[in-house]
Amino acid sequence: MARRYDSRTTTFSPEGRLFQVEYALESVNHAGTCVGLRTNTGVLLASEKKTMSKLLEQSSTPEKLWKIDKHIVIAVAGLNADAMILVNFARLVAGQYKARYGLPIPVENLVQELGDHMQGYTQFGGLRPYGVAFLFAGWQGGFQLYQSEPSGNFSAWKAAAIGASHQAARSILKTEYSEGLDISEAKGIVSKVLQKTMDCMSLTEDKVEMVYLSYNELNGEVELERILL
Amino acid sequence: MDVVFGFVGYDFAVLVADRAATQQIIVQKSDEDKIAVVDGTKIMATSGPRGDCVAFAEYVAANVRLYRLKYQHELDVKATAHYARNELATALRKGPYQVNALLAGVDANGPELYFMDYLATCHRVNTGGHGYGGMFCLSLFDKHWVPNMSRAQAMELVDLCVAEVCERLVTAPTEYLVKIVDKKGVEVIEYDATERLAKRREVQMQAREAARQAAARVGA
Amino acid sequence: MSVNLDLSFLHDTERGAASTKYRDEALQGVSNSVHASNFTAPAVEDFDAFQREVINYVKPAHGTTTLGFIFEHGIVIAVDSRASQGPYISSQTVKKVIEINPFLLGTMAGGAADCQFWQRNLGIQCRLHELENGKRITVRAASKLLANTLYSYKGRGLSMGTMIAGWDLNGPGLYYVDSEGTRLKGQRFSVGSGSLFAYGVLDQGYRWDLSVKEACELGRRAIYHATFRDAFSGGTVSVYHVGKNGWTKVTGDDVGELHFHYYPSEKIDEDSLGGLGKKEAEERAAAEATAMET
Repeated sequence: MARRYDSRTTTFSPEGRLFQVEYALESVNHAGTCVGLRTNTGVLLASEKKTMSKLLEQSSTPEKLWKIDKHIVIAVAGLNADAMILVNFARLVAGQYKARYGLPIPVENLVQELGDHMQGYTQFGGLRPYGVAFLFAGWQGGFQLYQSEPSGNFSAWKAAAIGASHQAARSILKTEYSEGLDISEAKGIVSKVLQKTMDCMSLTEDKVEMVYLSYNELNGEVELERILL
Repeated sequence: MDVVFGFVGYDFAVLVADRAATQQIIVQKSDEDKIAVVDGTKIMATSGPRGDCVAFAEYVAANVRLYRLKYQHELDVKATAHYARNELATALRKGPYQVNALLAGVDANGPELYFMDYLATCHRVNTGGHGYGGMFCLSLFDKHWVPNMSRAQAMELVDLCVAEVCERLVTAPTEYLVKIVDKKGVEVIEYDATERLAKRREVQMQAREAARQAAARVGA
Repeated sequence: MSVNLDLSFLHDTERGAASTKYRDEALQGVSNSVHASNFTAPAVEDFDAFQREVINYVKPAHGTTTLGFIFEHGIVIAVDSRASQGPYISSQTVKKVIEINPFLLGTMAGGAADCQFWQRNLGIQCRLHELENGKRITVRAASKLLANTLYSYKGRGLSMGTMIAGWDLNGPGLYYVDSEGTRLKGQRFSVGSGSLFAYGVLDQGYRWDLSVKEACELGRRAIYHATFRDAFSGGTVSVYHVGKNGWTKVTGDDVGELHFHYYPSEKIDEDSLGGLGKKEAEERAAAEATAMET
């Protein structure tokens, strides 16, 4: 039965589902976990790198965290090739906004533009949806954390997780999160989440990427800091 | 020759424009509104051919509105000015909008005024004016404008400017419109120049009469 | 056996897929002329020079006087009828009021062809508006349609100064629209080379509470005085009145006859002219006749 409705993205199944979109989400759920956490001084993004081989040249390996503009970083979970296209698109959107309005793009605008773009691939025929989900960390007068999915849906969070075993990650975040965390507490929570969700004995430096986005009151600039375990 | 000027006050910005629509030497109407409302907290006074001014103001207003509908939040004044300047710059290389504008508005950053001309200059200013009428006002602003003026002070400054334009500018318009924008919205003031000018004229008549009498005494 | 016909398009307030379909069918062939900016510019290297050269051939009706004003009982539109090409009067019988539809009038100043063509085009757009919306277009919207069209052709050589007058659900409406893209709402306008003269009479005689008769006479008089002073205005004075039931043409008078109507010539007292009186002339003629006989 289902076979008849999952070859084309644009066709609903009799139960009202779009199988291709669900499959895209499934591909995201196999990707390395990404965790995002808002603190009182910034946003912490962390993601699991699935290092495949020791022979891999580390410097040329695509990463999981991308800087979109001075004030926005995103974490990707899903097909990396798809993600590259969207990262490029996001940078273009951010650049165009800056050129048009002379201001850094509000985070929600970027998330919405990206969501609209991704939604198109769930509706117009002959194309497959992007197999990517994002966490957006940004600053716009305050710290912001958004999540988006292959369907084009997006939502704002205090703490969020995507990728493999994101449900487990979310439940940990739910119990551990409290308002007004500082950076070290946030780092502790994130480490705990990754420890639980990654199926390895110990967290090592080469398996995790972490960045902390904060705001420097003195020079009025957003700062990005790579955090080591 | 349009008379357009404006300045910022404590928590508001004022724009003033004359109300005459002219064609060569004919005043076609004297109740034209040259201060377009871009949105609830932004206004733009324009000077130049009416066709261009109306087209430009409507275009900017429509795009600001579109932005709000699309992203559910408002564009701030700086972004609007940047956007409008961008449009002027693009238009400059293809049959330009011959529009000089003053954009005033209030947002989280307080009241702001932007000076723009058809060559796509854009400056954030405290006071500004366009055309010959504006020039008469600039020196008055330099002398009388102070930060954080109250509304009453602002209207006095408007009086000074209108009086000066009426006194010194050939073909000075007779009707003016004042719009004040603050965070609550736009207030329109039907400005009666004759009433305001009566006082000033009286002073002049007295001075003239005194001078005549003085001259008569010297003669005698 | 009965046949069911879809007559839904006859219900003027109804909208639906049917109306769009019929509209699209109706539009075939005219759609090119309805939408602005479809004319291409001539393929010449120097457009400005080309325009300067050819403009002389296509611009009659350059001198004109037209006026319109709103008063208590509607709108009065009055125009002259002279067309000139340079110093040559090319016509004394130009119809400068264009009847767009029973509720809308347009006036003509500038290029006659430009005015006629684009106001007819406006008529098409207004009719389509009626078909699509099931109600008459407002004067405000109609004038904006024309202004948008003209603005899209700005700088491409159109020459028009027109007033759009009409009656809609808001009452009387009067707009000035020109080829620079200007559009002004107003109570009182005069357009054309004779407008300065017309304004003089019009502004002095205007009151809100004029009767229809007085208003029509004011319009006629203002145009007459403009034709008297302006060499490029003349012919006949046409006066229209726009009321809530649409426009009506009120008068059409030759300006020569109007002149003698306003300023009847006094009987000439021949004796006062310094020549011979009639009696002396008869006596001289009789004397010359007898001289011829002898």
